[in-house]
Amino acid sequence: MREEQRQNAVWMFLTYTFVLVMVLVMLVPLYWMVVAATLPQSEFLQFPPRLFPGTAFFENFGALQGRINFLQSVGNSVIIAVVYTVLSLLLCSMAGFAFAKYEFKYKEKIFYTILATLVLPIQLLVIPLFLLMAQMGWTNTFLAIILPWAANPIGIFLMRQNMKSIPDALLESARMDGASEFQIFYRIALPTMRSSLAALAIILFLFQWDLFLYPLVILETPDMYTIPVALAQLTGAQRIYYDQIMVAASLAILPMILLFLVLQKQFVSGILAGSLKE
Amino acid sequence: MESNMEGITITDLKKVYESDKQAVVAVEDLNITIDDGEFLVLVGPSGCGKSTTLRCIAGLEDVSEGSITFGETDVTDLRPSNRDVAMVFQNYALYPHMTVKQNIGFGLKLSTKLSSDEIDAKVESVAEMLGISELLGDKPKALSGGQQQRVALGRAIVREPSVFLMDEPLSNLDAKLRSEMRTELQELQQDLAVTTVYVTHDQTEAMAMGDRVAVMNGGILQQVGPPEDIYRDPVNEFVADFIGSPSINLFTADIEGSTLRGPGGFSYELDDTTPVKNIDRVRVGIRPEDFTVVEDTKNSATVTVVEPMGNENFLYMTLGSHEITARVDPAIRPQEGETVGLSFEETALYLFDPHSGESLKTKSDSVDVELSTTVND
Repeated sequence: MREEQRQNAVWMFLTYTFVLVMVLVMLVPLYWMVVAATLPQSEFLQFPPRLFPGTAFFENFGALQGRINFLQSVGNSVIIAVVYTVLSLLLCSMAGFAFAKYEFKYKEKIFYTILATLVLPIQLLVIPLFLLMAQMGWTNTFLAIILPWAANPIGIFLMRQNMKSIPDALLESARMDGASEFQIFYRIALPTMRSSLAALAIILFLFQWDLFLYPLVILETPDMYTIPVALAQLTGAQRIYYDQIMVAASLAILPMILLFLVLQKQFVSGILAGSLKE
Repeated sequence: MESNMEGITITDLKKVYESDKQAVVAVEDLNITIDDGEFLVLVGPSGCGKSTTLRCIAGLEDVSEGSITFGETDVTDLRPSNRDVAMVFQNYALYPHMTVKQNIGFGLKLSTKLSSDEIDAKVESVAEMLGISELLGDKPKALSGGQQQRVALGRAIVREPSVFLMDEPLSNLDAKLRSEMRTELQELQQDLAVTTVYVTHDQTEAMAMGDRVAVMNGGILQQVGPPEDIYRDPVNEFVADFIGSPSINLFTADIEGSTLRGPGGFSYELDDTTPVKNIDRVRVGIRPEDFTVVEDTKNSATVTVVEPMGNENFLYMTLGSHEITARVDPAIRPQEGETVGLSFEETALYLFDPHSGESLKTKSDSVDVELSTTVND
C-alpha cells in the first residue's frame, strides 16, 4: 500500500513537471512578445535579453500605425472573421444536422467526399481559387476571402459527430408537437449543441484570423489587408521592424482572447442532461 | 380535425425496412380496429413490431402498404403534426434546454394560434392535474424520473389530441412508482376518454391496463381481445405462453388412445378426445395456478425451489427433464428435493397442435365448470 502511494506521488510529480514545462514552452514566447513590444528596437536585440517591459510601447505603436495603418487591418480582420464564423457556423451545423439525422441517397459517399477535401492543403488551392475569383471579378474583396471555406469540412465533421448524440426521440417529439424540420433544427438541435457551437466558433474564427497566404494573393490594396498580410509588410528586404511586429502581434491576439472569454461560459457540460431517462 | 370522434382503423398494414443489402419486414398484414375512447395495449416480445405499428400510427414511419384512418379521415400520408395525435416516449424526450412550462407549452405554441396567456393557462391547468405545478420553472435535469414522466404526459395531454400514443412510458420507473403510475394513467385515460394505443413488452401491464390487448409476434398480430379472453382462450401456443405470470407449463405428450403420455412418466386419461382426433402427438399446457398438490397420484414432480410470496407459494419442479411451475396455497410448503403429487382438472387443460401451435382446446371451452371449481376451492 505505501509502495503504491509512493509510486503515485512520483508519478504525480513527473506529470506536473511535464505540464509545467509545457506551459512554459507555450507562455515564454508570448511573454517575450509582449515585453519586446515595449522595447525600442535598439534594446530589442541586446544580450542578455531584457526580461521586463520597457516604456516604448506607444512609440512603437505610433510607428506601426504610421507605416501600415494597423487599425484598418484590425477592422478588416474582425469583419472577415466575424462574418465568416457566423456564416460557417450556420452552414456547418445545418450540414452536420442533415448528415447526422436524415437519410438520403449517397449520404455516406457525399460525406466522405467532403471529408476527403481535408487532404488538400491551402497552398494547393490558392492558385485555382485565385483564378476562379479573378474570373468572377471578386479579387480584392472580402467575399473572396469568406466564401471558399464557409462550408468548412472540419466544421461539418465536428457538427455531424455531435449532432449524432442528439436522441432521435427528441426530434420526433418536436415533430409530433408540430415543429417543421427547420424549427426542429433551430429550436431543438441548435440549443442543445451550444457547447459544440462555441468550440467550433473558436476553431473557425482562429482559422480565418490566421489565414495568410490566400488573402495575400487575393487582397491587392493596403486598405483591404488583414492583420497577417499587413504584418508581412513589416518584413522588408532591407530591414525587419521587430518592435512594430511585436506590437502588432501582441494586439492581434487580443480578439482571440476576448472571444474565448466570451464563449467559455458556453462550455457547460451536460447540456443534454435530463432530456432522456436512461 | 375534430376531436372525440376518432376510432382508428388499420387495414393491411405492412412495414418493410429496406437497407442496402436486405429488407426486413417489421409488420405484416395488420388489421385492427380500435374503438373511440378505447385503451388498446399492443404487447409482445422485443422486435415483434409493436413499436413500429405505433410509430406508423404516429406518422413517424412511412407505411409500406396498407392504410390507417382516424374516424373517416385517411391519415396514412399525413405528417405527424397533422394527425392530431400526441405521443409519450419511453425515455420521455423532454427538451433539455426548456423549462417544464416551455416543454409542455411547446406544441401549443407551434401548432395553435392561442395567445401566450391562453397557452400559459392551459399549461398551468394540466400541470395542476398532474401535480407538477411547482415544477413549472425547472429544467428537466432537475426532475426525478417520475416527475419527468409526468411532464411528458402533460406535454401530450395539453394538446387535447384525439389519439394518445404511448411507447412503453412506464418501463423506466421503479416497480412501486410504475404500479402507481399505471393506475393513474388508467384513471386519466378514463377521465379524458381519448382513444389510446399503448405499447409494452410487459404482459402484466398489458393485462392490467388494456380494455383490449393485442398480442403481436414476429410482425404478425396473433390475437386481439379483452385481457380475460386472451388469458383463457389463446389462439395459439405463443399467446398462451406469453400471457400469464408465471408462464403456462408446456410440454409435448404422445397420445395413446385416450391417454396423454408426457415427460417424467406424466400420464393423463382424457375424458373427451375430440380435440386430439387423428393426431398422435400434442403440446400440453397447464397454468401454474391449475395444479393442486395431492398425495397418491400417478403424476409426480421433484421440487427444486420454493418461493414463498406471502399470499401464495411458487413451486418450481422438474417433471423428468422438464421444468414446471405450480402456484399453490401458502400452507403447502414442501421441502426442496421432495417429490409431490400433482393433479389438475381436464377443464383447465390447454392442448395445442405440435406443428402449427394452434389451439385445439382451451380453458374457455368449460368456463362454467371451471368457475364452480374455483368457488369450491
